[in-house]
Amino acid sequence: MSIDLIKANLNLYAVIQNLEDLVTYDREMAEMARDWNISIQFSVAGGPRAHIIFKDGKCTVGRGKCKSPSIILFFTSPAHLNRMFDGKGNPIPLRGFTKIGFLTKKFPKLTEKLEYYLKPTDELLKDKKYLEMNTRFTINTAAFAARELALLDPVGKMAASHMINGKVQFKIYPDGPGVYIDFNDGDITVTKGDATKPMAIMNLMGIKTANDFLNGKMDAFTAIAAGDVVIKGQTSMLDNLSLILDLIPKYLS
Amino acid sequence: MKTYSYKNSQNLFKRAAKVIPCGIYGHFSPAPLIPAAHYPFFAASGRGSHFKDVDGNDFIDYMCAYGPMVLGYNHPKVEAAAAKYQKSGSCLMGASSVMVELAEYLVDLIPVADWAFFAKNGGDVTNYAVMIARSATGRKKVVMVGGGYHGVSPWMQAPGHHGIIEEDYRNIVRINWNRYEEFERAVNENPGQIAAFIATPYHHPTFVDNELPADGYWQKVQALCNREGIVLIIDDVRCGFRLSMGGSCEYFGFKPDLICFCKAIANGHPISALVGTGALKGEAARVFFTGSYWYQAAPMAASLACLKEMKRINAPKIMLEKGKKLLDGLVKIAAGYGYNLKVSGAASMPYLRITDDESLMLHQDWCGECTRRGAFFTSHHNWFISTAHTDADIKRTWAIADEAFKVVKKKYS
Repeated sequence: MSIDLIKANLNLYAVIQNLEDLVTYDREMAEMARDWNISIQFSVAGGPRAHIIFKDGKCTVGRGKCKSPSIILFFTSPAHLNRMFDGKGNPIPLRGFTKIGFLTKKFPKLTEKLEYYLKPTDELLKDKKYLEMNTRFTINTAAFAARELALLDPVGKMAASHMINGKVQFKIYPDGPGVYIDFNDGDITVTKGDATKPMAIMNLMGIKTANDFLNGKMDAFTAIAAGDVVIKGQTSMLDNLSLILDLIPKYLS
Repeated sequence: MKTYSYKNSQNLFKRAAKVIPCGIYGHFSPAPLIPAAHYPFFAASGRGSHFKDVDGNDFIDYMCAYGPMVLGYNHPKVEAAAAKYQKSGSCLMGASSVMVELAEYLVDLIPVADWAFFAKNGGDVTNYAVMIARSATGRKKVVMVGGGYHGVSPWMQAPGHHGIIEEDYRNIVRINWNRYEEFERAVNENPGQIAAFIATPYHHPTFVDNELPADGYWQKVQALCNREGIVLIIDDVRCGFRLSMGGSCEYFGFKPDLICFCKAIANGHPISALVGTGALKGEAARVFFTGSYWYQAAPMAASLACLKEMKRINAPKIMLEKGKKLLDGLVKIAAGYGYNLKVSGAASMPYLRITDDESLMLHQDWCGECTRRGAFFTSHHNWFISTAHTDADIKRTWAIADEAFKVVKKKYS
């Protein structure tokens, strides 16, 4: 499995799912996308497929093909897709030539805002709203990335092979957001929200603590002992997941 | 019943975290103590089966410092033996005569042993054992059991862990515990390449039920090792002297080539030992292996006194009996609340789990509630019983366990 292919999976399945929350929680973006009724298919030769649907003020990001997309964006390789995500390349539109205006003017405003939230600085993190959004996107990106790495990265696969069946819940305590990863006989699904009957729980005590923890400014052992991070349940699942999450910087900066 | 608070522990931890990675690292890390708020992080003193933390809370210790404490903290005979050498000089320019006495005693005590070698930690001697096996056989590969723990050297750690590279585990073949056919397959798939099979006498990983060897398992493994020229290494670091004074292989009826001891060997003094058969003595001599403090006389004297005392009182029998008494009572109390408390492993170092909640959260809460009332239980690791645990301790533990069950029953219903 090439690094480019894994990175492409992370970009399509872990990064762009954040558009759903961007349109939900950022007032400006919600207003902008309110009347959009359009769908975009991402198709990568020898790589992943994903789609984005804007409808009734909601954004839905999914894996695979969508029915009758308004726009199809083709990439000749995973590396081609990754170049676009790095701002160094452009897709090949296969369908939706009449919607070029949307692609060149409207959609980039959304992706630029997502990029803004995903690249924090100490100064930006002083803003409460920014801190909240960055934390939400970081926890979700990590969870969705964990799935891809557990299935594709050699070390991730080894760590995932020790996983017992069950849900691992991550939550910013007490009010969320939360996300959980369900391991089931080799299948892995990621869902935003709270799990019923999780096998393991990691509660990050407060938004600032969560942000520091997720951005690697706090080590897990110290945070747990200090009560900043509360874990319970089958904590060996958290140990293995931690090894998987530690792989993210190898692919996404 | 009074519940404890840990202000001093927590303040000390804050200071520690500023200057020590993790604050408290390794197996003493508070991370697996769940909920961490119910546990002390720093100990101040110990006597018999009890220890006190830095907040003055008193605990009946069922972890025994993760195994080293076996006769009770500050045992007078052991401490007197160590003090004698501490006074006359423990780390001098030359080996101490007590080293010879200790080696002679181990060779007499352990039927398999024709020689003994001393180091400090369990991981020192598991490493040394593997080096001897490789040197003796001229082979590279080592078979070990998945989930087994033999220390923290890179080859011992699971792939994917930080600081571990592919080359570290390239010559490690992992098989499942108690699956003789898997060992046979590993041998057949790596003809003439396997130097050693290293395993604990029974399987005692963390977080899951412990497993005793199946009938005939060790005898078949030993026969295959003998036939194929594979060195059979028993990591008796945790079980050693808690099942049999002759090594746990005596308890299970087989004969390894090398046995690694630590923990209970000196009641808390820093020493480990590798013992082996005469056939490997020459090879052990050829492998260069040493450390700055490995010749300290005081821990050797402590070990000699500890082993003699354990032999005198038949310590394994006492610990197995005390363990059984404690566990029978706990299981009965749990049943009274409608819970199934499952015990696995040996009674002298049991692993417990409330099976009614597979997530372990209920079990973790119960262990935490017991600990904050004075019975130090962990939920992730096997416990340890010592000869110092008294009937009064056990009775008190039952009372604590009963109240803790009451608390968790209320919470979970």
